[in-house]
Amino acid sequence: MYFFRWEHRVALVLAGGVLLLMTFELIRKRRLREEYSVLWVLTAAAILVSGIYPRVLEWVAMRITLHPAVLMTFLCVLFLMAILLHYSVVISKHSEREKGLTQELALLKDEISRLREEVKEARKQPPERKPRPPALRT
Amino acid sequence: MPQEPNNGRASRQVDLGGRRALTIIPAYNEADCIQRVIRDLQERAPWTDVLVVNDGSRDATGRLARETGARVIDLPVNLGIGGAVQTGYRYAREEGYDVALQFDGDGQHRASRLADLVVPILAGEADLVIGSRFLVPRGMTATGMRWIGIKILSVAISLFIRRKVSDPTSGFRAAGRRAIQLFAAEYPQDYPEPESLVLLHKQGLRVCEVPATMRRRRDGTSSIRPLHGAHYMSKVLLAVVMDLVKAPVHLEEEVA
Repeated sequence: MYFFRWEHRVALVLAGGVLLLMTFELIRKRRLREEYSVLWVLTAAAILVSGIYPRVLEWVAMRITLHPAVLMTFLCVLFLMAILLHYSVVISKHSEREKGLTQELALLKDEISRLREEVKEARKQPPERKPRPPALRT
Repeated sequence: MPQEPNNGRASRQVDLGGRRALTIIPAYNEADCIQRVIRDLQERAPWTDVLVVNDGSRDATGRLARETGARVIDLPVNLGIGGAVQTGYRYAREEGYDVALQFDGDGQHRASRLADLVVPILAGEADLVIGSRFLVPRGMTATGMRWIGIKILSVAISLFIRRKVSDPTSGFRAAGRRAIQLFAAEYPQDYPEPESLVLLHKQGLRVCEVPATMRRRRDGTSSIRPLHGAHYMSKVLLAVVMDLVKAPVHLEEEVA
């Protein structure tokens, strides 16, 4: 007995195909970076394949004595969790970067204001040779 | 300048031996007391430079701090206590300071006690010195649930780092060169005081404690915001345990 009828297969192929095309289109328009698109491309491909060869899914479901619908739901949840985990990693990376950039920005701003004052002082002084100011940090 | 008898709490002269010390004050909306804190430092601990890290305050903290002549770094957005203190450590590293001291912007720390923190570092006995409220028989301690929370944390952290630390949440501390290098590269974000102890231990740096009395807070609320005993403690413990299993930080070798 087969679970997937042809209507199901058409729906799966359509969903997978549209998702794949959308991902490619977003990458092409540079609205999605390749590094974040891997999971989406893989999922779209998986949906497409399960529409074309539904026997694979049915066979796996039978082996682990699960209803194919349950198996599909389970795979969906798994995928969503993978995406969420991936997002958490990306967010962590970005917040760490943002922190570093904020600190660097504040330090540089402080250094600029110090340099400004030094220049102002230097301009006030008569242009005689005076000892070199202490070396700036590199 | 003649020394005034400061009701027995005169500034102790500290011989840094040509080394330089920086006091880092993280400040978030501390306009009410920041000037008092800085003047206190300038008067009682004139041997250290003062750096205020204004953590995106919405009030006049930055301007008021500048008026006192202290150096002020303004963070364009609020980073939280960990990010603010780390900014100070990065500054200390770039400017080549030998000792960096942490001092709260709310007036609970005593500038006159700052010298005690520096001594073990100058003697080369420790990389980080903590001013502990619990090593003094009297004076301000913590109360109720807060005390229990700190106590449990203290026992756990002492076990982890195999060294007795009675006051792991104290923000009154001094760091030597090696600790400055480490904190400039990596400083915990969530509960920086206890977590940084684990970080130091993992990097093989030495921690020690000296007694320190603290004042009761005058204004504002603790930066350790929800010090609700058990809840706070369990979150810190979790963070600390996670720190234990994190991969070590690789520092660039310090260029001599």
